[in-house]
Amino acid sequence: MLHYLTINTTVEITCLLAAFFCLKKDASLVWRSMILFLFITCVAEMTGIYVKRLYLADRVHIHPNAWVYNILLFFQAGFFSLMFLYLLKKFTNSKPIIIIGLALLTGLHIYKIFVNGIYIYDDLTNTLMSVLLIFYSFYFYYSLINDETYISLKNSPAFWWVSGVLFFYFGSTVCNIFYEKFAPLVINPKQGFNYFKYLFYAFNILLYSCWTYSLICRKWLTKR
Amino acid sequence: MANQEIRNLVIITTVIFLIAPAFILVYMFIYNRRKKRHIEEKEMMKLTFDSELIKSQLEVQEQTMQTIGADLHDNIGQLLSLTSLTLNSIELDNQSKARQKIDAAIDLTVRSIKEMRLLGKLLQGDQLMVLGLTEAIRYEVNFMERTGHFEISYTIEGEPPANNNPDKDLIVFRILQEILNNIIKHAIATEININLEYLSDQLKLEVSDNGIGFNADDLPAQQSGMGLHNIRKRAGIIGGEVSINSAPGGGTQIIITIPYP
Repeated sequence: MLHYLTINTTVEITCLLAAFFCLKKDASLVWRSMILFLFITCVAEMTGIYVKRLYLADRVHIHPNAWVYNILLFFQAGFFSLMFLYLLKKFTNSKPIIIIGLALLTGLHIYKIFVNGIYIYDDLTNTLMSVLLIFYSFYFYYSLINDETYISLKNSPAFWWVSGVLFFYFGSTVCNIFYEKFAPLVINPKQGFNYFKYLFYAFNILLYSCWTYSLICRKWLTKR
Repeated sequence: MANQEIRNLVIITTVIFLIAPAFILVYMFIYNRRKKRHIEEKEMMKLTFDSELIKSQLEVQEQTMQTIGADLHDNIGQLLSLTSLTLNSIELDNQSKARQKIDAAIDLTVRSIKEMRLLGKLLQGDQLMVLGLTEAIRYEVNFMERTGHFEISYTIEGEPPANNNPDKDLIVFRILQEILNNIIKHAIATEININLEYLSDQLKLEVSDNGIGFNADDLPAQQSGMGLHNIRKRAGIIGGEVSINSAPGGGTQIIITIPYP
């Protein structure tokens, strides 16, 4: 059982619990959908660990866990698009940009699965999603700056949610690219590439900390 | 490339890529604080403007009451005293003289009624501004002229815009009252020229007199106090500029330009 409690799953479950307590009575359906998304993420992580264990035990008959994350990618793209659509709605009509972005991601992901199969992780769609999310985050900041009304950023759920996304995808994109490029050059990846694991842990902690704080702000804001 | 080198490269690049969003976050906080300060300043300016507007309204009313008080005492009071005296001096035995005196008393009463009507209009205080700036100034000029101490010329150039600004009108009117008060109190002038000019996006008010004038630079702080200080302050509130040209013995010219409407 302890195998399932990694740093990643611990922060994800913590965030899921925070989401459940902070958002269960939230008026916004979009914010409430975060509970479902985090639940799916946790289930995917657990399934990923389970499949990995099976794969390590029987490499001949069992496929690696990439297919779990390929399926998760659909949910990620959908949820992030929905959330940004909701957050940017306050400032501008972002529907066309978000829908085009989502269509691109879905189209590319389906194409890659069709070409490479579901058992090979689709790095390209993940990278494209990161770029799009970084762009949405910047656009959100830009709209926030240009907006005439003042909001306290310290307690703004939207601001901290976007900040989490920006930190995670800005940092992890470069890590992903490096990992892809350098992994084939190293003779013993397990020995030499441990720090990547720690970097990804750090990004996950950063993302889920920002999100948990954003959820607390959201709860605090709606409680007043 | 050795593992060690790759690790250093990855870590350094990742740190740089983390510093960038951190820097953006810090910038957002700084900018947001500035935005808050700017909003507070704007609110403060609005409050100052509103309080000055109320103050101007009160002062215009006060000035009106003073005018009415003076007119009741100097004009209507005199007319009614004269009427009373005339009626008292009627000798009923002398029919022809009595007729003349009764006619004179009627004439004085009619004049009193006319004066009362004019005062009635003034008493409606705020209604003065409802007539518009040009008419409000005309009323003010009429009342000053009736004292007989000044020869006043009042000219209007250009057409007032359809979407006039009543708040600015009120403040400009109050500034004019302040200038005229200064002329009455200090200038020892006999002629006053008032020119109101509506430009495309500006309003220009020019008031000049042939009084004793003064040297604006030499005025002690207390003396330049209320009058000129108030004029400058109020014009500033509505984004205007004041130019004062005066020299001892050479009269005074004050030009106020404000963005309008």
